Amino acid sequence: MQTMLLWLVTVGALAVFARRFWLRLAPLSRARAANRTDQPMERLTGALADIGLHRRLLRFTWSGVLHFMIFTSFLVLSTAILQAFGSGLFPGFSLAVIGGDTWIALLQDIFALLMLIGLAMAAWQRFVRKPARFVGSKTGDATLIYLLAGGIVLTMLLEFATAIVMSGAPHAWRPVSTVLSHLLIGTGMTAQSASTAHLVFFWLHILIILTFLIYIPGSKHRHMMLAAFNLYFRPLTPKGQLPPPPTKLAEADTGTVETYQDFTWKDLLDTLSCTECGRCQSVCPAYAAGAPLSPKSLIMDLRDGLLTHEGVIDGDAHLPIIGGAISQETLWSCTTCRACMEVCPVHIEHVPKIVQLRRTMVEDGALEPMLQTAMTNFQSQGNSFGKPAKQRARWTKDLSFKPKDARNEPVDILWFVGDFASFDTRAQELTRMVAELLHKAGVDFGILYDGERNSGNDVRRVGDEGLFELLAQQNIDTLAGCTFNRIMTTDPHSLNALKSEYPALGANYDVMHYAQLLLDLIKAGKLTPRTDAGLTVTYHDPCYLGRYNGGFDAPRDLMAALGHTLKEMPRNRENSFCCGAGGGRIWMDDVVFKERPSENRIKEALELGEITHFVVSCPKDVVMYTAAIQNLGVGDRLAVRDLAELVTLSVA
Amino acid sequence: MKIVVIQRLEPVLTEELELSDDGRDIDREWIGFALNQFDDQALEQAVLLKESNGATVTAIAIEDEGSDKMLKNALARGADAAFQIPLDADDVESRSSRALAPLYAAAIRTLAPDLVLVGILSNSDLYGELAPYLGAHTGWPQISAVTEVRLAAGKATVRQEYAGGRAARFEVDTPVIIGLQTAMQPPRYVAGSKLRDLLKVQIPELEVDGAPSADMSHGTTLALPDQSAGAVMFDGDADDIATSIHNLLKEKGFVQ
Ligand code: SF4
Ligand code: SF4
Repeated sequence: MQTMLLWLVTVGALAVFARRFWLRLAPLSRARAANRTDQPMERLTGALADIGLHRRLLRFTWSGVLHFMIFTSFLVLSTAILQAFGSGLFPGFSLAVIGGDTWIALLQDIFALLMLIGLAMAAWQRFVRKPARFVGSKTGDATLIYLLAGGIVLTMLLEFATAIVMSGAPHAWRPVSTVLSHLLIGTGMTAQSASTAHLVFFWLHILIILTFLIYIPGSKHRHMMLAAFNLYFRPLTPKGQLPPPPTKLAEADTGTVETYQDFTWKDLLDTLSCTECGRCQSVCPAYAAGAPLSPKSLIMDLRDGLLTHEGVIDGDAHLPIIGGAISQETLWSCTTCRACMEVCPVHIEHVPKIVQLRRTMVEDGALEPMLQTAMTNFQSQGNSFGKPAKQRARWTKDLSFKPKDARNEPVDILWFVGDFASFDTRAQELTRMVAELLHKAGVDFGILYDGERNSGNDVRRVGDEGLFELLAQQNIDTLAGCTFNRIMTTDPHSLNALKSEYPALGANYDVMHYAQLLLDLIKAGKLTPRTDAGLTVTYHDPCYLGRYNGGFDAPRDLMAALGHTLKEMPRNRENSFCCGAGGGRIWMDDVVFKERPSENRIKEALELGEITHFVVSCPKDVVMYTAAIQNLGVGDRLAVRDLAELVTLSVA
Repeated sequence: MKIVVIQRLEPVLTEELELSDDGRDIDREWIGFALNQFDDQALEQAVLLKESNGATVTAIAIEDEGSDKMLKNALARGADAAFQIPLDADDVESRSSRALAPLYAAAIRTLAPDLVLVGILSNSDLYGELAPYLGAHTGWPQISAVTEVRLAAGKATVRQEYAGGRAARFEVDTPVIIGLQTAMQPPRYVAGSKLRDLLKVQIPELEVDGAPSADMSHGTTLALPDQSAGAVMFDGDADDIATSIHNLLKEKGFVQ
């Protein structure tokens, strides 16, 4: 009778669970394709390492540790669940033969305790410590899960304890349950009443597990089932290479995203795998600046939009994505700094989704006015400044020599100068310094003069794919006509395009940042710095040099070689905080930022106290941080220095 | 309903300028060229009329360095066809509106539109003379300083702007030549994908029956603005600067 009943509720619950799960996963089968099945071994080992070592989770210590406790306990306690259902459904089933009464029993007892501690830590975190990253997450959902998980463990322990009371002797392998059994006996429980209680706790245990199971597909705890897959299907392409727009399926297909089915299945899987942990939100410069963007809310809103569209949850099923589920301002707020993606424990890809939706807006011509001006300048002149191409190399006029034209003669190093370094008056000074340094060191280098176009890095991130291809192809064609060994640039955005984006268009180069080249020149004795005038400085990692292309060490080694003492800001290297200029934001109105990210960053540097210089290695950063220091009126305490200036002052 | 819209490149004057050797023109060697912003408005207005009235839009330009790119842009923006009017650079002394008007007019006669839109001014059409010249050459009605155009069968209703915020509405018979000041909506952004798709398109030439006319006036000298004595810079702290400004204002008699 009991067996029959158990079969009935189990099969019933499984069916409901499967249906609830399928309703949410079904849209993936109608979405666009994404190639995420290559390199299975690489995928598997990476995913297992991420899960097993909790690599990303442990960057947030408290949460990482508690998650590790809950996660391992869950794995161990699944043996207890197996035991409960196995013995109930198949009378005679027992894990005893493999140690279910000995070492497995011991592990279950220990991990039950660990699980309870982990849950208590989680509740403490959520209700007492309340980190800001939870703002916007669904607290009710989390609370219910704590209660259900706690209920499962407690009923399990009580079931074991009542069995011990029934047997009349302590269980050598179940210390926790044995202590609990003494407590029960203390309340007057007899072997007789224990037998009834045992049955009650068994059923409670079963019912809570099944409730949990049914609840999961509609909860953020879906990640228990999906996170591993999301990790497995993570992108393996270079970090700096955006996925192209979806392949057009038919002539009329615009390749843009109007409905949820226009996303790839991986995009949709991302939204369903989000744990609402808010790590992404806590590192987002746009969110910190008060802009209407939180990467977490973006993913949650897309998920809720998808489920509403599917009729799984209530709401307007016809709400458009852009201007409905997600506002245009939200999409334009992103600096594409990648901090969110770097920190997300389930490797959710925020930036490609934002750019894909921007592409849709660009196709519709829906650009904010300032951005439209810059983009139109690109189309007519090949740079955002709207300056004639002929003036691109004007900065060379005041040099002590004339750089080679790499289009006419072979060079060792081809210097891809970039827009800011070429046209911005403040950045031009630094560009000239780099040129004089290279000249002094006897480097055989040349530039492309008016043959250079903007690299298209940020144009691509604004969402104008066609314009990016036009600019990139012009550069690739020009470079094809030149003879050189390596490309050098001072601009991390150009570096990213040349190194990570152009290979997708079939062009592969050996690309280096000037920090590396200057360091090499010093090491080779071609430049001799004096090291007795060391400053105490801090250094800002540019997103497109550091997080995107791993260029963390060369700038630091260079500063050390010049005798400077580096004091790191709390947010450094992978965790660097964006200046706010990336992803085309430099061409947009920054009224969306209540506090500009660059000013937030300068305040972080000031907190360090004893530093005098804020060192940068990107022409845009020179502009951004000089302005930020001016706006904050702290010019007497801190000065911006580009690496080129440091080297120039030191070798003069 | 057929609309012809004229597109002209003009030198970008926001950059540092140099004079040509004879001192009568700017040196065009180092400066860039861009679509005249009023012609940009004319193109947008043409496309808006296409969208509201189902017209076909043809963009035309005199052949020059960059004119094909400019016309591709017009196609990407929504023009249905585009033509370059060939002009042998050696044959022509001047590219003034008076010189080129016969070529545009001949093209217009060939294309036989109901409406011709051209930007009211450009920096080489300072008095907005091209539109009246075209009216004279074609013998069609012509109206300039227009900020609104609506079309109905055989008629165009336009709004003409005057100084001081006044305006008048006119109804004119088509075909008509309009010197446009602003379109009814700002020019739209055209995604690079549309430009890319047009990369391999050849803009055809439109052979016309006409020759440039001679100019009746010539510039004699051109001078760059003198920037050496435009401003006085004050040094010192805020108090010093305030005192200097006060003294200067007193000296000039602005304050007692
Ligand atoms: S890329 Fe940077 S700005 Fe954009 S959502 Fe992620 S963290 Fe925020
Ligand atoms: S996107 Fe990733 S980091 Fe952000 S809330 Fe979801 S799981 Fe956490």
